[in-house]
Amino acid sequence: MNSFQMDLESMQDCHGRALQLVARLRLPLRSRVWKGQSGDFTGGGTGSSMDFQDHRAYSPGDDPRHINWQAFARTGSYTMKLYREEVRPVVDLILDVSDSMFFTSAKATRTTELFYLIAESAQAMGASLAVHAVRGDRSLTLDPAALRSHRWFQTASVLAAPDPAQIPVLSRLPLRSNAIRVFLSDLLFAGDPVPLLRHLGQRHGSIIIFSPYLQEEANPAWSGNYEFIDPERGTQHPHRIEPAILERYLISYNQHFTLWKDQSRHHQAAFARIPAEDDLATVLFHEAVPCGALEAT
Amino acid sequence: MLTLANPFGLLALLGIPAVLAIHFLQRKARELPVSTLFLLERTQRDAASGRRLDRLIPSVPLWMQLLAVLLLAWFLSDPRYQKSGSVQRIAVVVDSSASMGVFMADAIERLNDEIPKLSGGSATIEFTILESAPGRPNLYRGSSVTELNTILQNWRPLDGLNDPTQTIRLARSLVSREGTVIYLTDTLQEPLPFGAKLIAVGEPIDNVGFTGVSFTNEEGTLVWHAMLKNYGSSATERTWYMQTATSKSKPRTIRLEPGAMMTLQSAFPSEAKNVMIVLTPDRFPLDDRLPLVAPQPKRLAIQTASSPAFEALTGKLLRSLESAVPSNDAASADLSITSYDPLDPVPPSGNSIVFVEDSTRAGAYLKGGIVTEAHPFLDGLNWQSLLVRETIQLDLLAGDTVLLWQDKRPLIFLRESNDHQQLCFNFDLRLSNAESLPAFIVLLHRFAESIRGQKITYSAAILETGQSLRISVDPSLDLKISAVDLSGNPLIFTEDSKTAPMTPGFLTATQGTTKLLDAAVFFADTREADFSACAKSGQETLALASTIERHTRPDPLWRFWLLLLLAAMLVSWKFTATKATA
Repeated sequence: MNSFQMDLESMQDCHGRALQLVARLRLPLRSRVWKGQSGDFTGGGTGSSMDFQDHRAYSPGDDPRHINWQAFARTGSYTMKLYREEVRPVVDLILDVSDSMFFTSAKATRTTELFYLIAESAQAMGASLAVHAVRGDRSLTLDPAALRSHRWFQTASVLAAPDPAQIPVLSRLPLRSNAIRVFLSDLLFAGDPVPLLRHLGQRHGSIIIFSPYLQEEANPAWSGNYEFIDPERGTQHPHRIEPAILERYLISYNQHFTLWKDQSRHHQAAFARIPAEDDLATVLFHEAVPCGALEAT
Repeated sequence: MLTLANPFGLLALLGIPAVLAIHFLQRKARELPVSTLFLLERTQRDAASGRRLDRLIPSVPLWMQLLAVLLLAWFLSDPRYQKSGSVQRIAVVVDSSASMGVFMADAIERLNDEIPKLSGGSATIEFTILESAPGRPNLYRGSSVTELNTILQNWRPLDGLNDPTQTIRLARSLVSREGTVIYLTDTLQEPLPFGAKLIAVGEPIDNVGFTGVSFTNEEGTLVWHAMLKNYGSSATERTWYMQTATSKSKPRTIRLEPGAMMTLQSAFPSEAKNVMIVLTPDRFPLDDRLPLVAPQPKRLAIQTASSPAFEALTGKLLRSLESAVPSNDAASADLSITSYDPLDPVPPSGNSIVFVEDSTRAGAYLKGGIVTEAHPFLDGLNWQSLLVRETIQLDLLAGDTVLLWQDKRPLIFLRESNDHQQLCFNFDLRLSNAESLPAFIVLLHRFAESIRGQKITYSAAILETGQSLRISVDPSLDLKISAVDLSGNPLIFTEDSKTAPMTPGFLTATQGTTKLLDAAVFFADTREADFSACAKSGQETLALASTIERHTRPDPLWRFWLLLLLAAMLVSWKFTATKATA
């Protein structure tokens, strides 16, 4: 793996920062209508919560505590009150563990911070969290309980794919219906984003994309001769960067993420690009909150 | 046609590898992990033509700097374009001394190398080739290098050491001040006059050759003695043999130390008309073969008709003159030595040397300055220590030529008539110290030899090449002279030639059926046989800047090139600054 290796201390630091932020930022679970297991969120169906929703005619066997006696007094017929059911949110966290996500210290730190933030935020809000690591066409489901032991990194590190630079294949992931599918990836792979977005959005999934990036790759100051190293494949590529080539690179870079942004919007996915260099809270408030990927508490 | 007035300006092209080296050093790649590589390769895939262009134009500053170097080299080399119709005149004075024959091939090659440089970019070159020996016709005049080379290849320099100054002056007058004069020789020279340029193509080479020959009679046998010298710097061995028309002697080996001389000798075969002494050939062949004939000077019959008072003198004279035989017959004698007694004045007849004999008195010494008239008999002779007492004088006739005066007294005069000459000493030798003066003996010998020279009779002689040829002939008959070289090939020789051939060989002169002369002609200028001073000159014969300017015009586009150079430098600076800012 040609990437920066996070040690236990670094991961603990990242976890600590993420926990601090959980008090201020959270996943936008409350703004969604959920259906599913009982939890603290109002569901889309009727249930036994305290929030009144609607009336229906009495049927033998209905709970007489919910008879609307004011309606009987007026109409003489028995009418039942209906209340919103309380359901538990479902969060599927999909972490792209390709080498590019961890190939510098800054980016590895930012990725880890986001990972912990999303996971802790989901758990803090009582969501049902499933964590998946994906690299190319290989995937691995991580135990959320192991997150705080920080062993997930080593576990995910050994995930090997024949072509690590391949676009992540999510079809093998056991994504749950009606889930918020949080995709944590730098999106640095060639390919059309639509199939991936469609897959993330199937079965009533809501999509949130967090894309960490490096400023030195978004706006590089390359000039001259380079031996670029592909962290995914570990290969070397000689290039001579002239101003014209650099300009074309920047255009291509911006076009790539503009495409993702546009397609995310089209698929009603929240898309946040998170720079790796600045303070986590600052950049999240600046980038993630406005697009709806996170919300302030 | 383009000419570069300053070819050294092209050294600026060394800037090209320097610029490339700087750029390639800059091209040392930095390793950088990048996770957006697919985007970079996508940009290069998208700009397919640009990618190809990127390969061809890796760096704008690189190409601008290379262009700047090329333009700078162009400016520094001072390109000039030929003016139509321009003519450059070049006169080449070729050293005609015999030693140049060894280096003619090098000389032609060197001349051909130098001619383009001397043309000064002119459209046409006019050549005039002259021999260094004065008074010779031009070897070539024209514009064809091919013809010039052919002429020089077929030309053989055979002269002895000569002074080229007169010919160089003539060459300068032919090409005027703007033309070029070259002196082509085999030795380095002091700065040449009249602005001539030197091309020396010689080199020290070892040479062994004959320097001279003499003959002696030993016990009735004619013996030749040939001197040999090793001019080289190292000891050497040679073999030699004597060759006649019918036979050849056994070769003998000799060894000479550097600078050493040796005498070879052998009997001259009595049955042979002529012989040739042959030495192992070397690079200078002129002195490797020595032609010989048995020398036979013209006999001089001398009658002594002087009084016994002069017997001792006449005896000495007889013994000292070559091939002089005493004669008692005045009619058949070639020369008479007589004394004139004023008491018995019998005028001598025929060719004579006349001494006044005055036994009457011994007068006082003559006073007054001694003055010599200009005459070949007296050239170089000093008579100032002559002391003469007053004696009876011979009567001076109107046609007499006085050779020596003391004050107003003619001491020696020449009386000439149609068929004879008389050398008259107008004083009594016994009353003078003339006999002790070298000038007196030399005068007598010169007179006797002039009488001998006028005699029409057969002689055989060893001559040097180019030696003055004097053959006394009967004016009523045609003179026929034939000459062959040492290989027996006939030489072109005209009857009115005043000198022996320049090529060693054999010469015969006849009138009718009478043979007048058999001669062997050999090369004897030892100064030309010594190659120790030969050397090459450096490559300095470049055309003068004024010559180039005269025949060419400057590049009309120089302003454009200058602007282009400035533009290239600006673009290069701009790109470099942009990169630095980025």
